[in-house]
Amino acid sequence: MSIEVTVFLLRLLGGLILAGFLLALFYMIWRSLIQMTDTLEAEQTRYARLAAIGDQDGEHRPDKSFALLPITSLGRSSSNAIVVDNEYASALHATIVLEDGQWWIEDRESRNGTQLNNQRIQQRTALADGDEIRIGRCRYRLILTKQRATS
Amino acid sequence: MKPQTARQKPLGGSEKACRAHAKSQAVSSHERRGLRKQSSPFTPSRQQWLLLSLAGAFIATNTLALALSGGSEQSDWTGLALWISCALVGGKILDRFLPDQDPILFPIVMLLSGWGLLTIARLAPPFANRQEIWLLVSTGAMLLAAVFPHALRWMRSYRYVILAVALALMLATIVFGSNPSGFPFAPRLWLRFGGFYFQPSEMMKLVLVAFLASYLGESATAFRIADKDSSAKAHLPRLLGPTALIAAVSVVMLIWQRDLGAAMLFFVVFVLMLYLTSGDWRVIAGGAAMVIVAGFVAYHLFDVVRLRVDIWLNPWPEADSRAYQIVQSLMAFSSGGIFGRGLGQGSPLYVPVAHSDFIFAALAEEWGLLGVISVLSCFAVLTLRGLSIGLRHSTSAFRRLFAIGLSTMLAAQAIMIMAGVLKLIPLTGVTLPFFSYGGSSLLVSFVMIGILIRLSSEAR
Repeated sequence: MSIEVTVFLLRLLGGLILAGFLLALFYMIWRSLIQMTDTLEAEQTRYARLAAIGDQDGEHRPDKSFALLPITSLGRSSSNAIVVDNEYASALHATIVLEDGQWWIEDRESRNGTQLNNQRIQQRTALADGDEIRIGRCRYRLILTKQRATS
Repeated sequence: MKPQTARQKPLGGSEKACRAHAKSQAVSSHERRGLRKQSSPFTPSRQQWLLLSLAGAFIATNTLALALSGGSEQSDWTGLALWISCALVGGKILDRFLPDQDPILFPIVMLLSGWGLLTIARLAPPFANRQEIWLLVSTGAMLLAAVFPHALRWMRSYRYVILAVALALMLATIVFGSNPSGFPFAPRLWLRFGGFYFQPSEMMKLVLVAFLASYLGESATAFRIADKDSSAKAHLPRLLGPTALIAAVSVVMLIWQRDLGAAMLFFVVFVLMLYLTSGDWRVIAGGAAMVIVAGFVAYHLFDVVRLRVDIWLNPWPEADSRAYQIVQSLMAFSSGGIFGRGLGQGSPLYVPVAHSDFIFAALAEEWGLLGVISVLSCFAVLTLRGLSIGLRHSTSAFRRLFAIGLSTMLAAQAIMIMAGVLKLIPLTGVTLPFFSYGGSSLLVSFVMIGILIRLSSEAR
């Protein structure tokens, strides 16, 4: 076999291998996209809960978690859905609402303010999974779940 | 998800929240992997080895073809051996330490760098040995960035120190810079350390993305406020600092270094990252306006810019003088056709310095449209995976911005040089990542991929 023919065959082989590489690549991408859509669809319906993670003084509190309602009020007064038992919290301190599948937090003109990830919020602000909310000295973590939580 | 909510909720979470969350996610990801193993045998590790072995077969076939068609050249075989050992060791280490990593990134960059090495050996054999050493160093650096657990935290904690060092190196280049080719009027972008040259502007790419990700990530929560207008006003002062920094770096690059590509790249990536943090379309509009205005001003002030724009608009009257390179590059594309001339059978050496900025033209001539599409697909997939790694970090704004910034940087650079060589946009002298000859570029691009791999194994 002459060198020209060998080189040509090698070119052909190289081209085929390259095509194989790309096919494998696109197959993997396609598979992972399918997987991702499945995960996203499963997350469509969103429930959330607030887990108490203790107060600023480091005093340990029993880990409690509260399921969030579409409109949840937080504050010191016992009329709230989540009662914040802390002298730095206002009677009606903040509200958390669900709109278009997105949770929002709003400060209700509280005296000491509501802090989201250690920043005081002034306006209505969107919440994400794992956010830390501080009201008075109590801290809560927002947890988004697929299933309805039992409190 | 509706686009509206997606825009309003782009970034989230403090670092603490992320870490606490990571524990619960680690458990679920292990469960998921367990399930996947039962349902199909096509695990991430197998995907990686399949792609790596295909890439290896491609490079080995081409090395053999090159040796047969161009006479026996010793350096090719050492290059192949080096490539195989890099791929084997790299694949093994990633398998061992980061079983949850994205299995596609490493094979793609190995294919691109191996292909690049091969092309350099064919175009400019004396440069191949140097590039092989750089490949070895780069793979090592990539593995270090991927496996070393504190790299990300350090980049975040010491961002001002790192930025200051990088800026100092760039300033040093203005004073002590040199050019390996030794021409008196060539741009002096390199610093010399012994026998090796290093280009600080390449390092600046990584440093800048890391800095912006950690800086903008901290103000991410503030940007999530429903009332866009007042939030933009309130956080304007915070954004002035980085904007001034980027503008200054770009202008310095342009005026003192004559490095149009790097200046453009820094600015584009900055605007995109700012847009991702704020979700405000005015950022994009403002950035585009600034580029256009800067383009006009630079066209009238700088000869380099005017030359690039002129030969982009109409290269033909000066095809044998100033526009020689770009015209020869177009000729190379046309002579390549669909299937290419075959390795070692074209004449890509008509394009001056084809092994560096114009390597894409050589690729087009010898591998044709098919090779071009393959390389384009590789970069497209790399960008896609990089962006999706970023999106999966829903709890850490820093990680999300870092991954997205790195993939944007690589994509923008690849698009700029590929489109420039094809005369679709004015030519900006940047390297084709992983492919072109150039040690600093290869090293920094590999470290970027290492960080992306690290981020991919930490993501959901």
